[in-house]
Amino acid sequence: MIAPKHILGTFDESLSALRNNVLMMAGLTERSLERAMKGLFDRNDELCATTIADDEEIDQLEKQIDKDGVDILLRFQPVASDLRRVVSAMKLSSNLERIADQATTIARRARKLNRHPPLSEMELIKPMYDHAMAMFKDGVDSFVREDVKLGCEVVGRDEKLDDMNQNASDTLVERMAKDPEQLRGYLNLIFVGRCLERVGDHSTNIAEDAVYAANAEDIRHQSQSLAATTS
Amino acid sequence: MEDLVMETPEQTVLERLEKGAAPPPEAELPPARTFEVKNMSIWYGEKRAIDNVSMDVASKAVTAIIGPSGCGKSTFLRALNRMHELTPRTRMEGTVLLHGKDLYSSTIDPAIVRRRVGMVFQKSNPFPTMTVGENVVIGLRLNGVRNQKLLNERLEKSLRMAALWDEVKDDLDKPGTSLSGGQQQRLCIARALAVEPEVILMDEPCSALDPIATAKIEELIYELKSKYTIVTVTHNMQQAGRISDYTAFFYLGRLIEFGPTTKIFTNPSEKQTEDYITGRFG
Repeated sequence: MIAPKHILGTFDESLSALRNNVLMMAGLTERSLERAMKGLFDRNDELCATTIADDEEIDQLEKQIDKDGVDILLRFQPVASDLRRVVSAMKLSSNLERIADQATTIARRARKLNRHPPLSEMELIKPMYDHAMAMFKDGVDSFVREDVKLGCEVVGRDEKLDDMNQNASDTLVERMAKDPEQLRGYLNLIFVGRCLERVGDHSTNIAEDAVYAANAEDIRHQSQSLAATTS
Repeated sequence: MEDLVMETPEQTVLERLEKGAAPPPEAELPPARTFEVKNMSIWYGEKRAIDNVSMDVASKAVTAIIGPSGCGKSTFLRALNRMHELTPRTRMEGTVLLHGKDLYSSTIDPAIVRRRVGMVFQKSNPFPTMTVGENVVIGLRLNGVRNQKLLNERLEKSLRMAALWDEVKDDLDKPGTSLSGGQQQRLCIARALAVEPEVILMDEPCSALDPIATAKIEELIYELKSKYTIVTVTHNMQQAGRISDYTAFFYLGRLIEFGPTTKIFTNPSEKQTEDYITGRFG
């Protein structure tokens, strides 16, 4: 349902600008994560460099969203759904920025990995990436569409990503012992896995904020019960 | 009559409301509710100003009434101390219980109701011919209190409670109208407090005040709610959010939504409430 417009047209314009910046930031963050992972899988240093360079733009957008949010709080003193949307947008931008930072870290690790022969263990990372990226996209979608059900589902998926990361990490540690010459490579893959696990955590935060924006329900720190209800 | 003003609100309200009747045991009093309004409808002539409103007013808490102009919020407020009856051709249906006693019972004296349920208006209205001190104690004098020591004690106590004593203690003999707008409004609050009411009704008490005077009144409301039940009408959403524990939203004479202020201002249940408080109304 589309909410009727505010009597103050400038209020609608400000809210719209804030939302557009969040969506743009989400789009840029998704692109960075994709490029970082493609740079890793395709051994493409150029994509990695682009990812690192793009981080500055995302950082600036985070500052812009914070500024716009504070400006709206100051000028219009929003309440109810307006207040929840502004607060959630500001929290979302912080999580998006951290996901972009994880993409930058992955890109840096990928450049190091690209200097050495390819590792077959890269296959352990692929399903983690797919899972983390799906969580991220759905988390943002739940915010955009104010979809409470989808938001709760995203939160419930984080545990699986944690397990995947733990399993991959255990396997890579075993390989280190067997093949010490590739120790640096395995270590970099462990760090990449940890970055993806963090992407899942931030996506969870985004989904939680999306649920709060939609219906004022605070679902944080309930992941186990949510996982049980959504599985 | 002096004993009238020496009693505390908790001890005296029922005795005063019901002439000659012994107060019921304290155990019978609903502790958390000062007012219980049931199916209240009010007409001014043919025009229905309040339409079948039922709500409880919590004791020793601030209840804010919000809504667009003409929604009936001031009428509702005035009905809580029968002030609306002063308007010609007024008719009311339903019941208003003050601690379980029907305010509109034929055995109840409206003048006593208004003493127990004090009122502060939008525009400060100190009596222009009286000094600051006389303004505060006029209610006591009209009730027959002549003991000067008692009057002086009550004068200082009321002005202190209204956070005005330090500002006017050397100017008690000056005209009440010589004070600033914010001071005049606090003087009116002190005047209401002097007769030791148990409820204070406020009809847009800060609408004519600057931000500093408004802040002082809001701070005062916060201080007073530990001792008094306060019901306030306001057009200022932020003020309602700041000072009240409960909020009632009225529209076209109907109570649309009533609940804890935090809930109303973060996640109202009714779309009309959401549209009004977010500025989408009209």
